Amino acid sequence: MTSVFHRMAAAADAPVFALAGAGMRWAVQDLLLADGITLVDSPRAASILLVAGELGPRLGEAAARVHDALPHPRATVLWASAPDGLAGAGAERIGPDADPVAATRAVFRDLVLGGRPSEPALLPDVDPATWRGVGPYGQGGSGMTGGTPYGRPMAELGPDRDGLRLDVLPTRLGPFFAPLPAGLELDLRVSGDVVVEARVTGSEVGTSEAAGGSAFVRALTQPQSIADLEMARARAHLRWAAEALRLQGLRAISLRALELARTIAPGDSAAVGRFATAVQRTGVYRWSLPNVDDRRRSLLADARLGPVSRACGGVDDERLADPAYIALGFAPITDVGDGVAAVWRARFGEASQSVDLASRAGSAVTTVTGTTESPRGRIALGDAPTARALEFVPALVEGLEWGDALATIAALDLDLDEMAALAGVTAA
Amino acid sequence: MTDLGPLAVAFSVMVAALLAVLASWLRTARNARATAPERVPFTGGRPPSAHAWSRYHARYYPMALLFLAFDMEMVFMYPWAVVFVSEGIVAMVEMGMFIAILLLGVLYAWRERAFDWT
Amino acid sequence: MSPLLEVIAAAAAVAGLLAVGALALAIGDGVAGAVVAGRPIRVLPLLTAPVARAMLAARTGSTTTERPDGAGRAVAPALLAGLAALAMVLLPLGPGVALADPDTGFVVYSAAVAFVMIAVFLHGWSPNSTLPLHGAYRFGAVALSFQIPFLLAMLATALPAQSLSIVRIVEAQAGLWNVVREPLGLPIYLVVGLAVGFWGPLNLPDGDDLAGGTSAEDAGWARWLWQVARLSMLVAVAALGAAAFLGGYFGPILPGPLWVALKTGLLLAVMAGAQHLLARVRIERFVGVAWVLLVPLALLNVFVSGAFLL
Repeated sequence: MTSVFHRMAAAADAPVFALAGAGMRWAVQDLLLADGITLVDSPRAASILLVAGELGPRLGEAAARVHDALPHPRATVLWASAPDGLAGAGAERIGPDADPVAATRAVFRDLVLGGRPSEPALLPDVDPATWRGVGPYGQGGSGMTGGTPYGRPMAELGPDRDGLRLDVLPTRLGPFFAPLPAGLELDLRVSGDVVVEARVTGSEVGTSEAAGGSAFVRALTQPQSIADLEMARARAHLRWAAEALRLQGLRAISLRALELARTIAPGDSAAVGRFATAVQRTGVYRWSLPNVDDRRRSLLADARLGPVSRACGGVDDERLADPAYIALGFAPITDVGDGVAAVWRARFGEASQSVDLASRAGSAVTTVTGTTESPRGRIALGDAPTARALEFVPALVEGLEWGDALATIAALDLDLDEMAALAGVTAA
Repeated sequence: MTDLGPLAVAFSVMVAALLAVLASWLRTARNARATAPERVPFTGGRPPSAHAWSRYHARYYPMALLFLAFDMEMVFMYPWAVVFVSEGIVAMVEMGMFIAILLLGVLYAWRERAFDWT
Repeated sequence: MSPLLEVIAAAAAVAGLLAVGALALAIGDGVAGAVVAGRPIRVLPLLTAPVARAMLAARTGSTTTERPDGAGRAVAPALLAGLAALAMVLLPLGPGVALADPDTGFVVYSAAVAFVMIAVFLHGWSPNSTLPLHGAYRFGAVALSFQIPFLLAMLATALPAQSLSIVRIVEAQAGLWNVVREPLGLPIYLVVGLAVGFWGPLNLPDGDDLAGGTSAEDAGWARWLWQVARLSMLVAVAALGAAAFLGGYFGPILPGPLWVALKTGLLLAVMAGAQHLLARVRIERFVGVAWVLLVPLALLNVFVSGAFLL
């Protein structure tokens, strides 16, 4: 009887919590389209931990902590990956060319049917609370707020702009917090649901070799086909849209964005237009996305952050410096409205424009090297838009409500792989 | 069924659901005790630097006060709804005056930005 | 039958109705998601997925957090399921036929909806974890805002019935359904219903920006039960909405209970569509709209539809 139930359980989609390592962000995103597995946002909801690519030494312990947060029975699948923290897990290892979905399904099935033992905890069982001798838990004080219960101090009072003194709660988000790119660590101090202080404390995933190089990074050193570059730009914007839509609770339409990124062909700007209309009809511009005030707009306008800057009133675009683009009649898309919604419109507009440019570019190649316009803005040797954007993050999110803060960060399209790749270019 | 029937039914369903949760917990507890790292609250893979429980700044408190005023009004509206048709225009005018005053309160709260907190 | 047996039989019946409804909503949600995503609709997997998920949940162990409120964590999903049952037991299935028909049925239903705030807050507060805690307090704002429009939208249906009994409210629609008599009522009720079940565009406490919010720390069976309790709440909201606005069991040819099921299914289909077609609303935007737009509109609905009764 039990085995019947277990077989039914094994027929369910495998809930997977995925850690995207260097260069694997989009490979993991593609798993959203796969049948038989579901990517979940919390390790508590997962049965399988999928580690894709190298995580680098900094993230080993966090990966192990995520591993330990999974309920039993649990298993790990290492896809082209051998992270330090998960060495003892007895995980399933598959190569870069293996099919991660089939491997995950097989491990999941084994696990649920009892053929594969659940993995034990990896981190040592050391209680963070030290015994202080006072209070029911030895926490060094009485009552809920006395001492440091369970080794974690209580939040401290802080002044607030409305004159009340209430607790300011320190919050460490990431490196594997679904709304942020994997590897990004954000330390917030929140008063209620409003961010009063933000700090980026970690932002590298892995080495520059593992991060790989996009067509845009290659365009820094040698001429690239404009058609290829512009299609890559359109795909990058659509993949960004898939992430941003998911954050706004639109999972089904997010899948459409991914599917479109996969199938879009040069000249098919109508398909992008139809998709943008579908997005607009969800009301996301009207009631989901926060405003961007004048202070933040002026901060971003001249930061050369591509569509973000152009949505904030900037006009810079590296493509304007390239005669090959001018010959194609290229003009950047500006004046797209206000707020974070403007960034969305700018990206959809640009995706559509890029698909169109790609069909007209023929065999034209770029004629300028040294700087290029990536989907995220101006890139140069050792100068990544994501690195510049990260410096703005505190100024952008301080004072915003939690959801608004994350929607604002999502609009920046932070790409830690591109940042790592560009850092590597300088070194070389 | 008696007037307390619905409450009894709800209570039965609640008890059944509660037993289901507890049974599952007991089963887990029998199998393994969670280690300290397994108990760490999840915020992305790093241990939290403070307890989540805190004197949380619920920034919608002015709206909560407005809610109290309207919730009291609802107490009057339940019986009012029952006698509305038989009392006719008198009931309508009386409740209309009361509601108008409360709606002024909403306007005032709106002007004072009680519904925005960032 | 002894009162105790009567209650147990009623509880079993209600649990059955809720389970069927929740299953229907889960399947409908899967279908709507596949349609909106433009993915092929594979019938068998869509039909069996909810059952397979339940089995997986039963197979999966639970987790705990540091110093949680264990009792609160256990009670929250049970409370939400109990509140759904409390609402569902009032549902009229035919003329004068309901599992329970107290004179104050509408008050009982409002009490159930009001207590949803307690269940969700408890669920978010009890794990002693940041993301669920934010979800809990967020729902405080949502619940305090939806309460009044909800009560007013429902109250307008009590005027023609001259009674707070749900059975009477349906009987009063013999000639004219409330959806026609008070056209603003159902739209307001549906918006508010999405908030009660924190679903789709109003899934703020369990939103994606909180990585699952109040359920971010839930694993296995407890997680599944919370999802089922929330689906049950939506089913109860849809069923009572069909009773209060769409004439309940009234309809030609088909037997009454089938009409109840069909109308409930229609409202559930709207909810399943809203889940995939509408973006999550900013919390401040919802609070503002609820007070500045929904409350006055709901009052207008009460007084205008009331005036036509005189």
